[in-house]
Amino acid sequence: MARYILARLLGAIPTVFLVLTLVFFAMRILPGDPAVAALGDNAQPAQLAQYRAKMGLDAPLPLQYVHFLAGLAVLDFGQSFMSDTRVSTLLLHNLPYTIELTVTAVLIGLVLGIPLGVLAATHRNRLPDDAMRIYSLIGYAIPDFYLGAILLVVFSLWLGWFPINGAGTGFWGGLYHVILPAITLALLKSAFIGRLTRASLLDVLGRDYVRTARAKGAGERRVIYRHGLRNALLPLSTGIGLSILATLSGSVAVELVFNRPGVGQLLIEAIHQRDYPVIQGGVIIFALFVVLVNLAMDIVYVFVDPRVRVQA
Amino acid sequence: MITRRKLLGTAAIATAATGLGAPTVRAANADTLKFASAASGPRTADPNRTTQGADNWHCAQIFEYLASPEDGDFGKQPGDFKPALATSWKTSADGKTWTFALRQGVQFHKGHGEMTADDVVHSFMRAKAGGTAVSNYANITSVKASGKYEVAVTLQNPDPMFLGSVIFTKNVMVVSKKAEEEKGDKFGTDPIGTGPYQVDSFEIQKGVFLSRHPQYWGEAGRMAKLQCLYIADSTARTLALLSGDIDMMEAVRAPGWIQQVQGRKSGLHFDMTAPGSFNTLFFNLSKPPLDRLEIRQAIAHAIDAKAIVQALTPMSRETYTLNPPNYPTGFAHDDLPAELRLDYDQAKAKALLKAGGFPNGFKINVNVSQRPDYRSQYLIIQELLRKVGIEVNLSIMDHTAYHDANRRNLNTLTINSSSLPPVPLYVYDLYAASGANMTEDGKGGQNYSHYGVLLPGVDDLLKQMLQTTSFDDYVKVGRQVELKIQRDLPMLGLPTLSYTVARGPNVDLGYEVKGGYAYWSFAKATITG
Repeated sequence: MARYILARLLGAIPTVFLVLTLVFFAMRILPGDPAVAALGDNAQPAQLAQYRAKMGLDAPLPLQYVHFLAGLAVLDFGQSFMSDTRVSTLLLHNLPYTIELTVTAVLIGLVLGIPLGVLAATHRNRLPDDAMRIYSLIGYAIPDFYLGAILLVVFSLWLGWFPINGAGTGFWGGLYHVILPAITLALLKSAFIGRLTRASLLDVLGRDYVRTARAKGAGERRVIYRHGLRNALLPLSTGIGLSILATLSGSVAVELVFNRPGVGQLLIEAIHQRDYPVIQGGVIIFALFVVLVNLAMDIVYVFVDPRVRVQA
Repeated sequence: MITRRKLLGTAAIATAATGLGAPTVRAANADTLKFASAASGPRTADPNRTTQGADNWHCAQIFEYLASPEDGDFGKQPGDFKPALATSWKTSADGKTWTFALRQGVQFHKGHGEMTADDVVHSFMRAKAGGTAVSNYANITSVKASGKYEVAVTLQNPDPMFLGSVIFTKNVMVVSKKAEEEKGDKFGTDPIGTGPYQVDSFEIQKGVFLSRHPQYWGEAGRMAKLQCLYIADSTARTLALLSGDIDMMEAVRAPGWIQQVQGRKSGLHFDMTAPGSFNTLFFNLSKPPLDRLEIRQAIAHAIDAKAIVQALTPMSRETYTLNPPNYPTGFAHDDLPAELRLDYDQAKAKALLKAGGFPNGFKINVNVSQRPDYRSQYLIIQELLRKVGIEVNLSIMDHTAYHDANRRNLNTLTINSSSLPPVPLYVYDLYAASGANMTEDGKGGQNYSHYGVLLPGVDDLLKQMLQTTSFDDYVKVGRQVELKIQRDLPMLGLPTLSYTVARGPNVDLGYEVKGGYAYWSFAKATITG
């Protein structure tokens, strides 16, 4: 297994490298001058020239790329164009908040989505199934940021149950601040997980071994959860992986709406300001996250389905 | 009738509410003032290195100038400036040397000792050598200590508005030389100044937290603590103010925003600078038919300034030349010669189009920033020009890309919005001097019209202005520049847009905001109730 993980990690290096190279050149092709973004609209030509020289922006593009790769080799993402802060410091400060939000949202999404999917599958073409269908439709249709704004107005502004913004400190403070943004993401993800659970479970419940279990006189609860859901988890685990990645990307808008610190908000600001080092650092984090989640899902697959064996 | 289901539902909601246990988002704290600006986090607290306007808010509480106008306004003439870290100043007969007597006994934050001439010299020289506004200090030849409490600044050319053009600019706010040398790069997050508030913590995800400077030389800050917070999203920031989570916020400069929030919470105050941002419409003289005066005049007469003001009310005010009427060289409507009044007149605009060879109007492509203040103005102008037959095709892009396009000669009708001080020469040098000509390689300046390059401009007048030694002469020549620009019309002053801060009903700022830069002092602020 260790060899398999190592091989997968090594295999991900070209992918991450390709993504980074694309981002490096794409950002520099986009119109927009980081020097003007940093020094303001009224910056004079001499100031701009001085700033470009200081930040290495006046060097030929291939040379900038070489510098970037050289830094990357020693895990140095460089310094933000907009502040005196190292990119690694910015990422380390913001990453825990994004992980906190993503993990909480996925957990809530699973806790909500799987039972809803089971309910819909076991009440096929009846009221719970129809309700689940409508819920999914709404879940797919409402954008994260819009739902977030609605929840913010209702639960924070009107009812005052949750804070308006920020991330809080300490475990309980963090939990109190993360709940509403996590619910925003989770409601939509639970719709996806619910639909997936329903489809997967319906497929399994039609299998011979389930019929056999029923014929042997196993109770309906046992049939559904022991024989049905366990086997339905297999395709579900892939869906959960996708859901984690979708939650991560959704966190960008939600961090903005709830004014939570996080890599998403950092990245958005950096894109607006053409802060290349921060963009590159943020993309590395997201790319690694994708690689690691996919790897984790593959490993989970092995444990969930004993028929699958690792061939490193 | 109470059913089991209803009972369970009610109980669940009640339990949830009790469990969460925080119906009030923020307990009122009369000792702490919370202000939120429109950015995602602080970058630095070093006034010479700020790269976003939001960071100027905490800098304005931490650092001070040698001289400054009354709180809440710009100094529009030399007499408007009052002693701050300098107690007095004098100018040499040739206007090239300014000598400042420093206030004695001023203590830096956190025991960093007394401010002396060395600190002032260091603060000026570092702004001249590097930082975010090097060009602004190019006229300074030397800054020398002529005693422990005296500093002499020598200039290349006289500058009757020196107090406004240099002294009251953030990059030369006085820093502790010793602290900066000790802290190096960390000075940006642990700054040492002389202001009424000192930094307790600088948190890049949240904001800058300050407390009263116990050894402040002047009247102590009225609030014990300040929090300069950052909420980039305008909806989140607005909700934070409405909920009482923050006390003050940078307003959203979009049509109807003030009316909307007033409808949701009564008693809010809105502090606005006048003029705030200059909004200047540059006609790119290299893009026909904008090279024809009649066409530029037609566009000017087709724009109903009052409609723009009304759409952005109460944040917008009319302006009649490049500089707004409340600036030294600006003109009020009735002070302008009749032929230079660019009043809204569709018939006149159509006649001018005809005279310029376009009786049926024309089509023009224009790049637009997606920023709400830019977008609003462009959309109104598009509609107004359509009425006289000019079809404007707008391409909306993000703000950074927009400025890049402007600086590369890719726009035709360029609006530039900027909060400019009442220092006329600075404005003319920035927008109208041939030396500031915008070039296709993006390395030029902000003269987006190519005025003085494709059309004889105001360079000679600017040279005259640069040699004046009295403020009256300076203004006199400046007003000639203003009229020449109005006559040639390479650019047009659009209605200004105030920088606006919304303040909770229980927050008293301690003074009235009339003008000034887009940041101001909280030293006199109090929270009641």
